[in-house]
Amino acid sequence: MGINYLANLALYIPELIAIVTMMGLLFLEATYKQDEKAHKYVFIGSLIGMVVCLVSLILNMQIAATPAFTNAVMIDPFSTMVKIIMTLGTIGAIYIGHSSKDVYQGLKSEFYILVIGALVGGMLLASANNMLTLYLGVETLSIISYVLASFKKNDDRSAESGLKYVLYGGISAGIMLFGMSHIYGVLGTIQFTGVLPKLASLSSMEIAILMPAFLLFFAGLGYKIACVPFHMWSPDVYEGAPLPVTAFFAIVPKLAGMAALVRVSMVFFSNEGMLQYGWLGTLQVVAALTMIVGNVAAINQRSVKRMLAYSSIGHAGVMLLGVVVVDAIGARAILFYGVTYLFMTLGAFYITSFVSDKYDNDHFDRFSGLLKRYPLMSIMMCIVMFSLAGVPPLAGFVAKFNILTAAINKQFYTLAVIAGVTSVISLYYYLKIVRLMVFKEAESDEKIEGFGFLNQLIIIGVTVPVVFLGIFWEKLMIIVNGASILTQ
Amino acid sequence: MSGLLNWILWLPLITALILLFTPKGKDNLVRWISLVGTFLTFLLTIVLYMKFDTTVPGMQPAFNVSVPWIESFHIFYKLGVDGISMPMILLTSLLFFICILSSWTITKSTKGYFALLLMLEASVFGVFLSLDFFLFYVFWEVMLIPMFFLIGIWGGENKEYAAVKFFLYTFFGSILMLVGIIALYYVSGATTNSFDILHLQGGKWINETISIFGHNFSFANLFFVFMFIGFAIKVPVFPFHTWLPHAHVQAPTAVSVILAGVLLKMGTYGFLRISFPIFPQAAVSFSTCIAWLGLINVIYGALCAMAQTDVKKLIAYSSVSHMGFVMLGLAAMTVQGTNGAVLQMFNHGTSTAMMFLLVGILYERSHHRWIVRPDGSRGFGGLYTQLPKFSIVFIIGMFASMGLPGLSGFISEALIFLGIFQKFTTITVLAVVGLLIGAAYLLWMFKRMFFGDVIEECKSYTDMNAREIFYMIPLCVAVIVFGIWPSPILNIMKASVGKLVSLLAGFEA
Repeated sequence: MGINYLANLALYIPELIAIVTMMGLLFLEATYKQDEKAHKYVFIGSLIGMVVCLVSLILNMQIAATPAFTNAVMIDPFSTMVKIIMTLGTIGAIYIGHSSKDVYQGLKSEFYILVIGALVGGMLLASANNMLTLYLGVETLSIISYVLASFKKNDDRSAESGLKYVLYGGISAGIMLFGMSHIYGVLGTIQFTGVLPKLASLSSMEIAILMPAFLLFFAGLGYKIACVPFHMWSPDVYEGAPLPVTAFFAIVPKLAGMAALVRVSMVFFSNEGMLQYGWLGTLQVVAALTMIVGNVAAINQRSVKRMLAYSSIGHAGVMLLGVVVVDAIGARAILFYGVTYLFMTLGAFYITSFVSDKYDNDHFDRFSGLLKRYPLMSIMMCIVMFSLAGVPPLAGFVAKFNILTAAINKQFYTLAVIAGVTSVISLYYYLKIVRLMVFKEAESDEKIEGFGFLNQLIIIGVTVPVVFLGIFWEKLMIIVNGASILTQ
Repeated sequence: MSGLLNWILWLPLITALILLFTPKGKDNLVRWISLVGTFLTFLLTIVLYMKFDTTVPGMQPAFNVSVPWIESFHIFYKLGVDGISMPMILLTSLLFFICILSSWTITKSTKGYFALLLMLEASVFGVFLSLDFFLFYVFWEVMLIPMFFLIGIWGGENKEYAAVKFFLYTFFGSILMLVGIIALYYVSGATTNSFDILHLQGGKWINETISIFGHNFSFANLFFVFMFIGFAIKVPVFPFHTWLPHAHVQAPTAVSVILAGVLLKMGTYGFLRISFPIFPQAAVSFSTCIAWLGLINVIYGALCAMAQTDVKKLIAYSSVSHMGFVMLGLAAMTVQGTNGAVLQMFNHGTSTAMMFLLVGILYERSHHRWIVRPDGSRGFGGLYTQLPKFSIVFIIGMFASMGLPGLSGFISEALIFLGIFQKFTTITVLAVVGLLIGAAYLLWMFKRMFFGDVIEECKSYTDMNAREIFYMIPLCVAVIVFGIWPSPILNIMKASVGKLVSLLAGFEA
């Protein structure tokens, strides 16, 4: 048992690194009296920790699917890939937080530490292999997120956003737990492994209990990925939270929830029957509504952050198409989407953060005439916007193409057409930013200090993959293909 | 040899990249580099034309390029040229060369303008050359980005609205096409050839059905309609034409020329390359519908043109009308009709380019385009005495697009009528009325602008300068020569058109 346990720990090295980094940074922060110095060291320390975590995750990609800790977590290439994306997203959020004014100077260290903590929760959720770990992941992620959302202490909206998040999060977690208890009552187990045979021999009465139970269960995950009708919190929270936190929310919880959803769908609903019919039918409707509501609501926003929030709801809807097909093509499409979504989101938020720091707000008008002032940044923003809308030859297009292939392979033509039409709608509001930047004159002629060299380097570093993955995506395709098979 | 298509495709893009590295403020250098780039491209297409083997039906084996691109999805970088794409390629390279010359007076961020124009050229070549469906789609969409900026930055007063409308409209159409492309990929087995346009041809899915909400649809019919909408928006076929007048009126001259001269043809080219060969049975069963839509285009476009007081808008609507003739020729599905359609695509490209260029030349002098101003006074008058050279070129262009015998428009329209007459007699007769209206609005416009007293503000206009005359010459020559002797173009397309028509004939009831 002892040796076995150690072997399990070896599988869990990336998470351990993240946890150790978090703990170490807490001590580090406490030992320094001077805030400035502490922030600097914590920042560097957190980046180092995350990079090491990333490296160990990449090494973990080699490991075939192995359940660890008595089947509590599943370490497989799928979850590892999701964790890699989330870690990259965390690094991005940490960097944006470092440069953004939105995170108060005195709270920077806490921000880095908390974000890493939330990442650990996300990792747990991504590889959860029983109901309890899943719940634990959701809660770890959520509780830290509540704090992060209200991080701008002096801002009413941030406080409001934190409170809204707590209320929504608490209620949906409760509903999820309620659903889980019913599932346990019927199946007699919380494990995912080995549940399939049990599902096959259910009486119709038991199925009748399971179906609403899973619906309740879905509330918890649905709220994490912010799909309709559990999306209400997300625009307000996104808008109120500091910008780096919003970037983090747009990536980590969403992908972690999506990964868990894929696993749950694969485990419980890969066999045809009433259960699958009900679950996938629900998901299809949810996916369609999410795409429509997210993209339509984004049209009339005046704050860029809020627009990005709604657009990320729309993207969650598109990703859901990869879930409803319940096969490896769908899983690999989600992974591909995740990778490109990461870069696009980071790029969009990074630039928005820069602009909103300059002008103290993030209204669309602030982007007017940006091309003249910051040519490089504006061009990169254009690329990101086109990519988010799914215009070839950019990565966002390839991601949508992958999702559409998964859907059409299973003959979901209606959903595919909805995905297409909503991406036309999304083009409209993404073009709004492009239009303002390129066609409009600036509001005033005041000179603004430059976009530093390091900033340029980073924005190029984020945008280059968006172009590169749009043209040479064979390599990534092979990687996600290898990571897409979820064995149970 | 096989590198030729690669060079034609990428040379404009390479030129655009070179432009980005030119020092700031050297506008003339930028212009000359782009001129040389497009001229070399034009020469390459002439070489391609010389080496073209007119006896080969279908793709020219000598020029084929095929390199695996994304192996997971069996996507290839596959280029080829046949008798249908060859005239389009010639037209594209010629018009872009001329457009660079006509854009000499652009001063607002010159570098960006020429770089975008060259990017546009590369993507248009991509559409006409690619034989892989995915590749085709990528080029089809990439084209929207330079167009969006060209209209939106260098356009007229209402440019933003026009640019966005153009982008959204076309994007919507192509998304439906994308769904069709992927559906084809899976229905053909997701194998090595499943994105290969040539492999998909031949109408393999006659009995395939798909079910949507419990209703069974014929696979071929459904996706024929999907792709039809995608291409029809580009043509534009009524009722999808509403983006066109805006885009044309707001776009700068060169972009209007490209839009009318080349981009509209991409729609009809799509029918010829993709819709018809891949879904021949659906094409045959929808042919009456296509013919009626073509007729509506002819009549409606002509009537709209007649009502315009803005001369550029008039030309834009005349394009709608003339593309209707192409649709009629396609609907005929006979050798003459299809020959006429492809020839009309080429001829309309040259004649409408002339008209837009001339309107652009006039606009540079007058800074307005009113035939009749909103207050009822004349916008132009007596141009004939004031600008003799300009008037002569204008007359040639006008008569060519009117379809006067001896000029290029006549031959293609005659071929189309020949091809369609037996099948759709009523439609043919009605379409001839459209021809009549065409003559009416053009002559009426000419009378109002060129005859009568010279109005005060026209007295200051100068006649065409050497540069303007220089770039009008090739178009005048093309319009006149191909009006008398169309065989250089007809010979190229003969074998390929024959192949397509015989494929379609196999599915006629």
